[in-house]
Amino acid sequence: MSDKQNQRLLKEAEHAVLQQYTRRHFLKDGAMGFGALALGSLLGGCFGKSSASSQTLFDASNPLVSRPPLFPGKAKSVIYIHMAGAPSQLELFSYKPELAKLDGLDCPQSLLEGKKFAFIRGVPKMLGPQAVFRQRGNSGLWLSDNLPHLATVADEIAMLNAVTTDQFNHAPAQLLMHTGSARLGRPSIGAWVTYGMGTENKNLPGFVVLTSGGNNPDAGKSVWGSGFLPSVYQGVQCRSEGDPVLFIKDPSGMDRDLRKASIDAINKVNHEQYTEYNDPEILSRISQYEMAYKMQISVPDVMNINDEPQYIHEMYGTQPGKTSFANNVLLARKLVEKGVRFVQLFDWGWDTHGDSAGNAVDIGLVNKCAKVDRPITALILDLKQRGLLDETLVIWGQEFGRTPMQENREGKKMPFKGRDHHSAAFNMWMAGGGIKGGTSYGETDEIGYNIVSGKTEAYDIQATILNQLGFDHEKLTYESQGRNFRLTDLSGKVITDILA
Amino acid sequence: MIIRIILSFNVTEFIGRFHPVLVHMPVGILMLAAIFIWLAKSERFESLRSAISISLFLGMLSAIASCVTGFLLSKTDSYEEALLFKHQWFAIATALISLVIYYLHLKNRETKWVAAVMVIFVMITGHLGGSITHGSDFLTKAFSSSGNSGNSKSIPNVQETNAFSTVIKPLLDAKCIACHGPNKQKGKLRFDEPGFISKGGEDGSVIVAGNAAESAMIKRILLPKDNKDHMPPTEKPQLSKQDIELLQWWITTGAKYDLKVKELPQTDHIKSILNSLESGKTDEQVVISYFPEQTVGKAPEVAVQQLRDRGIAIVPIAQNSNYLSANFVAVESFTGKDLQLLEPVKKQLIWLKLGNMGLTDVDLEAVGKLPNLRMLFLQNTKITDQGLPQLSNLSELQYLNLGGTKVTSKGVGQLKGLKNLRQLYLFQTAITGDDLDKLRQLFSNTIIDAGGYEVPKLVSDTTVLKAPIGK
Repeated sequence: MSDKQNQRLLKEAEHAVLQQYTRRHFLKDGAMGFGALALGSLLGGCFGKSSASSQTLFDASNPLVSRPPLFPGKAKSVIYIHMAGAPSQLELFSYKPELAKLDGLDCPQSLLEGKKFAFIRGVPKMLGPQAVFRQRGNSGLWLSDNLPHLATVADEIAMLNAVTTDQFNHAPAQLLMHTGSARLGRPSIGAWVTYGMGTENKNLPGFVVLTSGGNNPDAGKSVWGSGFLPSVYQGVQCRSEGDPVLFIKDPSGMDRDLRKASIDAINKVNHEQYTEYNDPEILSRISQYEMAYKMQISVPDVMNINDEPQYIHEMYGTQPGKTSFANNVLLARKLVEKGVRFVQLFDWGWDTHGDSAGNAVDIGLVNKCAKVDRPITALILDLKQRGLLDETLVIWGQEFGRTPMQENREGKKMPFKGRDHHSAAFNMWMAGGGIKGGTSYGETDEIGYNIVSGKTEAYDIQATILNQLGFDHEKLTYESQGRNFRLTDLSGKVITDILA
Repeated sequence: MIIRIILSFNVTEFIGRFHPVLVHMPVGILMLAAIFIWLAKSERFESLRSAISISLFLGMLSAIASCVTGFLLSKTDSYEEALLFKHQWFAIATALISLVIYYLHLKNRETKWVAAVMVIFVMITGHLGGSITHGSDFLTKAFSSSGNSGNSKSIPNVQETNAFSTVIKPLLDAKCIACHGPNKQKGKLRFDEPGFISKGGEDGSVIVAGNAAESAMIKRILLPKDNKDHMPPTEKPQLSKQDIELLQWWITTGAKYDLKVKELPQTDHIKSILNSLESGKTDEQVVISYFPEQTVGKAPEVAVQQLRDRGIAIVPIAQNSNYLSANFVAVESFTGKDLQLLEPVKKQLIWLKLGNMGLTDVDLEAVGKLPNLRMLFLQNTKITDQGLPQLSNLSELQYLNLGGTKVTSKGVGQLKGLKNLRQLYLFQTAITGDDLDKLRQLFSNTIIDAGGYEVPKLVSDTTVLKAPIGK
């Protein structure tokens, strides 16, 4: 080979290496170096704090390490129970005796003008409450007989009576509730929280998702996604039947030592890659492999409810080996006990339009309530007796509410009593985690159609959750596409009336 | 045009409203003058003598101005008459004394004793004025146990007593009668006798028996505070939420004067308020603060890193705090030696989670040497009564979880010296029944939760509704 050829090969190799270091890298390093120097000294007083906090939270080599919140929070973990499909607040939480008087009458035009509904067309009839309400506990909170067990812990609950959204379809409304935007692409609240605080148990994921009711929520997995946050913060969906995580077992012929050896080999190669390219996502990948290895032992262990005593099974109404809401609720308690930061439950099947008996507010809804009432009540009592309720924030969520009118799909009478999607006013509640039990916030009009006072938006609920964990929702930010993003976007205020 | 505006403008009221500003001047200046008079007696402060004259003069002028504006103000609004009477005459007396003392001073006579009398008069006048605007119990409120509730005395066996005279009347006496009573009848309304209450005021009846929401009295109490019709007037002591709920309850149940409490229907909520009257204290929440107010130095970084390497989640409780929390949940094959790692951070460590670890009585010695612990989780460990005394020096401890351990009431009782303990968890321990009651007496400021909650079986739990036949 001639010398000339050799030189050309060398030059090509050099060129290839240089190509790895792109203009993007150069600009980035430049910006980080000179830009940070200049900006840091110039604007330190103005922006230094917020940008510093968003820079330091993500530690690629140990992305889930437990981190301090901005201020000492009352809550250490969250169990967010979302009733996907949106149960009817008028049969559960919102006592409207005036609506009963209007039952069967035509809906007045004034309520319909300028309004858009998912299915209601023309002039629907009003539908009175299909449940008996009573005042419960010392606080006198109104709850219906559909949730008789929950009624016994009414004094632990802070009821939000005037929640409102601007979305009347399931998927965007769910996204708004969980990511602060009705469109795809933003991180979910569980991702924000694990990004902000990490998690206390390095052998388990920080953000676990459990679903029940036969379907995932309409918004799909984006509703527990990590958006533009590093992917390590997305929710890990676990199953309560069979293997908790698919492919978690080692294949036959692969023992634990061999698994360890292969992961070590992969990580070694990854480390070499990292020294060459300095891409933090590689470090993140290494820690993911290590965590997956540990999770092979720890996850099946924590996801096993067989070891729970009979007394607990009776309390929650759990049946080991099945997928059920009750099992998920018990798992949520176990996970929180084990230091998991954020547990997200979705229970599907609350979309009571009245198109079938299962979707009727006086049949299907009642059956559905019977399935969740016991476990949720058991959760509150169990956390309480374990001394964990004060540091665990429990939330009953839904994407919107249901209309005080009976649904008349395509202008026709429905076979069963049902209600259409209603975005203007509905209920949610919180308990534990520094929330003042026995309180009630906000008011709707006499038929539960519009809000009168105490308007509560998804952002306000998100801000309150973050506040209880010790974060100012305006300061928990992450830079993406050239600007700092936050969960509550441009709104949100903490609902101080319900805080202990 | 301008003249008309000025004429329509109530000049006397306008001048009167300067009273709250002016009153502070005679208080300050006359007091200072008295101090000068006394100090000037000594040689060291003789130079102050020359200031006495001017301060007495200014004090006198401002005292007179305060009297005039105060008199004008008293005509514009109604104040509690007895207090106003005293305030007015003490104020005039103070002004006169200031005149006298100024005269004596000009004549070069001895003034120190007159000055002392003047100081006393200034203080009495000031106190009376304060009582008019802030309520007569403003100064002493700090000593009363019941905060601002109208019912400051406990009512034993409240259910057996007359609802009006023991529950409602004390509220009216405390918050309404000053203006609507024997001394003063604003709006021709009196609340001191049942007959007067039923009669109502110049706008008619204020109570609609059986309908609190329609009763003018309740309506005006519930008006926002910035509404001029709000009662009691903003500057007067307000009714507490509990007071209002009791009034609403009494009116809703018929505004009866002759029935006992137990004869009136009660919701659970009202019942709990009524019960709280028995103990004479409103149900105040136990105030818990899980972190100290004073700051602490940074924990040694090496020690923190050692803990972290051992798999212990150790984090500051907040970004700007050096206090630490430690959670052992992810520690594999725990031994007592791991607790020695906490020794270097003992000043900073305030929250410690050791639940489900193989912790024994011997290991509690190390835990007992962490003096600043506020929260301690020891549930499902192997500790017993023998180890507990080692925790008795944790004087800051507010939260202690002993669930699922072999401790008994005897062992836990030894911790009664922990004065700050607010929450004690004893779920799945042998402590139940009488033992628990004894512990609750021993720890009167502590919420003791022994759990064992059950969710009863209901028929509705298993009933599955189906569509009616034919659908």
